[in-house]
Amino acid sequence: MQAEIEKIRAFIFSNFLFDADQGALENDASFLEQGIIDSTGVLELVEWLEETFSIKVEDDELIPENLDSVNRLGQFIARKTT
Amino acid sequence: MLLTDYLNAGTERHPEKLALIHGARSFTYGEVNNAAMGIAAGLLDFGMEPGFRGVLLNDDPFDYIVSYFGILLAGGIVVGLNTQTTDSSLAYVLNDCQASVLFTAHKFVRHAEAALPGVASLQMLVISGAGENAQQGGKRWHTHSFSDLSERPQPTESGLPFRSSCDFAQIIYTSGTTGKPKGVVLRHANLAANTHSIVSYLDLQPTDRVMAVLPFFYSYGNSIMLTHLAVGGSLVVNQSFLYPNVILQQMLDYEVTGFSGVPSTYALLLNRSAVASFSFPKLRYLTQAGAAMAPEMARRLKSVFPGTRIFIMYGQTEAGARLSYLDPNEIERKPGSIGKGIPGVTLTLRDKAGQPVPLGQVGEIVARGENIMAGYWNRPEETKEVLRPEGLWTGDLARSDDEGFLSIVSRKSDLIKSGSHRIGPKEIEDVLSEHAAVHEVAVIGIPDEILDERICACIVLRPGCECSEKELKVHCKKLLPQYKIPHNIIFVGDLPKTTSGKIRKNELRVLVSTQ
Repeated sequence: MQAEIEKIRAFIFSNFLFDADQGALENDASFLEQGIIDSTGVLELVEWLEETFSIKVEDDELIPENLDSVNRLGQFIARKTT
Repeated sequence: MLLTDYLNAGTERHPEKLALIHGARSFTYGEVNNAAMGIAAGLLDFGMEPGFRGVLLNDDPFDYIVSYFGILLAGGIVVGLNTQTTDSSLAYVLNDCQASVLFTAHKFVRHAEAALPGVASLQMLVISGAGENAQQGGKRWHTHSFSDLSERPQPTESGLPFRSSCDFAQIIYTSGTTGKPKGVVLRHANLAANTHSIVSYLDLQPTDRVMAVLPFFYSYGNSIMLTHLAVGGSLVVNQSFLYPNVILQQMLDYEVTGFSGVPSTYALLLNRSAVASFSFPKLRYLTQAGAAMAPEMARRLKSVFPGTRIFIMYGQTEAGARLSYLDPNEIERKPGSIGKGIPGVTLTLRDKAGQPVPLGQVGEIVARGENIMAGYWNRPEETKEVLRPEGLWTGDLARSDDEGFLSIVSRKSDLIKSGSHRIGPKEIEDVLSEHAAVHEVAVIGIPDEILDERICACIVLRPGCECSEKELKVHCKKLLPQYKIPHNIIFVGDLPKTTSGKIRKNELRVLVSTQ
């Protein structure tokens, strides 16, 4: 799962945190609580997930338990691709 | 009528009734009122004089509402700010309104610490949340803990300063298209008139319980808060719309009767949530402001929320929020319309000379009513431009049909409507122009299925300079809040201009949209 985690971090930094220090994002940090992503950012994230990992994110899967941190995303991708 | 009368009346009628539900926390009218009175006592004890400006930079709904009413009870003027801010934006507003008090949360203190040394008027800083402390640290202002203040012994009504409905109650900052944000000054009477009118056409009742997803610092969210407290209803608050399914579950759990959103809220619900698998038997009304509703969206909403009345509304911060609404029964017969003036408001369409335009022709919407603002804070010239003998000139161009239903045709201004935000392009253009590689820039809104508009920056680079989209976004991130960072950055050879050198933004929008 480490490769997925690295890809997710790269996407978050590239699109939302830009040039922030790598230490600015803990893998367990909530995107919501940290104000890292807004509602349109979630849509961009989902679009990227679907394209990058060739998965379909269903509407009822758009919940914080699946999407709200780097680690949760990593686990979600792992579940969807196995 | 004073806005504080809503809280007093609710507390007298039903002190144990829930006024606010936020996550696992809930607060009765009595609890909100007691805490607001405590805040008022603290503000008066520390020497606040009538008319002082109390600024709110806080996204906790209980702290926000209690501070809001505490400031009003102490005779002050509330200035609610967008919590997505930058140090310089905060300093600008604090200085512009000459703030005496800043209420904020611990998580925003870094902005306050950066901004406050340059704000000579500030006397009190009130901090809530984790890490509350009241350390002085040799600062010019006194720092207080929110809980210490809100738990103070409450004054009696006779211990509060005299307040009148003509007093200024609130300053709401709006994005300007040509410069810095302007403070819209609203009297108690303006907001009370608008509240009364909205309550009447939505037929709000004490049994109503609204899902409040819009931030209170914007005019729309502010009116949702006031109208539901005015009738003794309840606010179920979750102002993060990151995960719409969480909101839908809360609507079900708390049996809400109302829901309010902007076009992007409904686009997200319909396109990116599991709304179709939910059922809301108690949901009585939906409201949408910010734009007319596309007929297809109205059809889908009616199908997803059968039996729920859908109100399309139109307004401006300068009107305390609301100017018109479309009767839910007309939504299919009058697609794309914003309806007619709300009770107490007269809308006319006028030409540049101030004359009413003939039926069917396009004119600027001009509004009259008790709800219209007192003016822009310390900006007499800009006030005169929009408050004229005919009423408030809204800058929105519309057409009326033979039954008096209005449809917006276009805006005179370049303001970008993105999600729940109204964004002036000039501020973004100024920031991008500071980049060494940028020769010229024009920022426009381009249509977006979810957001209504995306922010698009069209850049002409200096000869011989190279620069990437990411580099410019990094530059913006240093100087602008997240929601003002352009979604798209496009590099162009030149910008279309008039003979006098003004950028033709309409032409640019067409060019970008067809690319």
